[in-house]
Amino acid sequence: MVKNKKPIIAIVSLTCCEGCQVAILDLGARFLGLAEKITIGNFAFLEEEPTTQRYDIVFVEGSPITEENIARLKDLRQRSKYLVALGACAALGGIAEIKNYQDKHERLRYVYQNFEGINNPDIKPLSHYVAVDMEIPGCPINKEEFLQVAKNLIAGVPVKLPQRPVCYECQIKQNKCLLQEGLPCLGPIILGGCGAVCPSNSYSCDGCRGPLKDADPQNLNQQLSAQGFTQEEVRLILQRFGVADKIYPEPPTKI
Amino acid sequence: MHIKIEHISKIEGYAGFIADIADGKIKKVRVDIKEGARLLEGILRDRNIYEVSHITARICGICPVVHTLASLKALEKALDIDVSPTTLLLRRLMMMGQIINSHALHLFFFSLSDFLGFNKDLAMVKQHSRRAREALAVRDFGNLLVEVIGGRSIHPVTPTIGGFLKLPDKRKLRHLFNISTKVLADAQRLAELFIGLKYPYFVRSSPYASLHNAKEYAFYDGLIKTPNDAKASPTDFMKIIKEYQPENSVVKRALYQGQPYMVGAISRLNNNHSQLNPHAKRLLKQAGLLLPSLNPFHNIPAQAVEVVHCVEETRELLKRTLHKSFDVNDIAEQKDLVETKLRSLKGTAQATAAVEAPRGALYYFYEFGGNGKVVNCNIITPTSQNMARLERDLEEYLPSLLGRMTTANVCDKNCQDKIKMLVRAYDPCLTCATH
Repeated sequence: MVKNKKPIIAIVSLTCCEGCQVAILDLGARFLGLAEKITIGNFAFLEEEPTTQRYDIVFVEGSPITEENIARLKDLRQRSKYLVALGACAALGGIAEIKNYQDKHERLRYVYQNFEGINNPDIKPLSHYVAVDMEIPGCPINKEEFLQVAKNLIAGVPVKLPQRPVCYECQIKQNKCLLQEGLPCLGPIILGGCGAVCPSNSYSCDGCRGPLKDADPQNLNQQLSAQGFTQEEVRLILQRFGVADKIYPEPPTKI
Repeated sequence: MHIKIEHISKIEGYAGFIADIADGKIKKVRVDIKEGARLLEGILRDRNIYEVSHITARICGICPVVHTLASLKALEKALDIDVSPTTLLLRRLMMMGQIINSHALHLFFFSLSDFLGFNKDLAMVKQHSRRAREALAVRDFGNLLVEVIGGRSIHPVTPTIGGFLKLPDKRKLRHLFNISTKVLADAQRLAELFIGLKYPYFVRSSPYASLHNAKEYAFYDGLIKTPNDAKASPTDFMKIIKEYQPENSVVKRALYQGQPYMVGAISRLNNNHSQLNPHAKRLLKQAGLLLPSLNPFHNIPAQAVEVVHCVEETRELLKRTLHKSFDVNDIAEQKDLVETKLRSLKGTAQATAAVEAPRGALYYFYEFGGNGKVVNCNIITPTSQNMARLERDLEEYLPSLLGRMTTANVCDKNCQDKIKMLVRAYDPCLTCATH
């Protein structure tokens, strides 16, 4: 990034649970150590006002839902050299995307009587609106992975997340295979780096980190069918964090 | 005169403040919320009851535990499923972790700088490094407690209908118990700092509500208690309060008997202070708070007292948990039971449940069919209950700020800082409020 000068970093939220920012704070003393090496340009959890206008790196979590969200994202892009999408909402769509697979107009009317004037766009990842330089996926992000990536970016070292499935870390941990036990685990097609935290706790991977590049869902799909899961059940899981439209960009009429 | 604060930092979610004043009269006061609508209650419809608690956890990255547990409690109540004593102990421990980590964050990182006059927390951390270490140690303890039981501190993995997918490692629970002595000392120093601060004098009349439980200072379960000792079940209380949506607002408000009311730490303290644990009680006495307090700024020292109470409670609960031998039945091998219950359903099942979130009572209502799919759902969060009260408070507080102004027609930095301070005292969570 920048040589001989502390890089200016911003951490910004669009619409989301803000859990990825919380994960960064959860680094505790290690976050304070990282903060020594940077200038914080904007981090609303800790700072009263943004201190600068231009950022070397901006981390953006959340979904662009309101018009103001979208404008803020575009503005941040213009003012930042390097933009990192932080977490499932920013990288994939996250849970808010579930409505894309439903009748979103009916969903809006169900929640609000005065629905006029409430923005209700299809939920898209940040990359739909602006150029994204890197994604740190997960719901929430893995704070250890964030720390590694952030340290490298601050030092000016480009980072690529290894394209390994969740199964890779699950096997290293010698977990019993949930898929083989008959559970609908998406581990084989989902990008690892989370430490397989869900399968390690007997909870099937539900895809919050998004699919591996060139993931072929066919094998897994056949396996799940053979285990007695209906296509609807599989589809519901794939929709949870917005994996479905990434795997099936133009959904086949009959999956 | 028009007052506008574009963005109030150090709260969860994105909000500003606007007020219109004409002829010395306040016309309009509004917390201007800029969160997008994620339509949680809408998107949960037609989804499976096994997954909805994982989805609702994502309402809030600061308090995912309470969203998970309130959601599970409502589902279990509708299915008439009782959880085991061990499950109850572990859930109550998770609740303690949640209150501790959320309060520690709000107290030290969001609130303290208002009183010490810093606008950058990192500068404050440098100057008060010992205080910062103590606050972080307390917060880390809360996080670790949730992580050991829930598998992860943000969006816990293990809680499920009827119990847990996996039980915690007892060695890790023992470790938590071992470090809790030091954490209790840190928590007390943190609390002493906060009860020693000078809070603005702003007393108004307002109803308040919280869970109340005859057995303990209520967080996980109880009836809703309001002034005059009135008590109602969560189901009834959800009918007593009226939720409404101001025009153009994505955050609904709620009224109790037609009035704005307050939930959260100060409301719990008002209702239940006699049930505090000993150290918390001593600190409350030291604070000299006269209860019931009708000063919303006292929500801050109330949180500080609660942190100490919750660390003490954690120690007791850990002791009891460590004495228990974990049984495979505590692991929710309950899928068959849930399926049987679903199959026997005639029509739909429905129930309401409540827990005390860090910011106040949180309500979940579900109705679902025999196919396990959600038909109807309603979630009322603490901040959406507090929002009408906060706006009324701002309306009542503003004249005293304007009266002190030297030049008319300007809400200067000091005036704006006081507005932000009152907003932050409520510890609002706008991502929860909007959901």
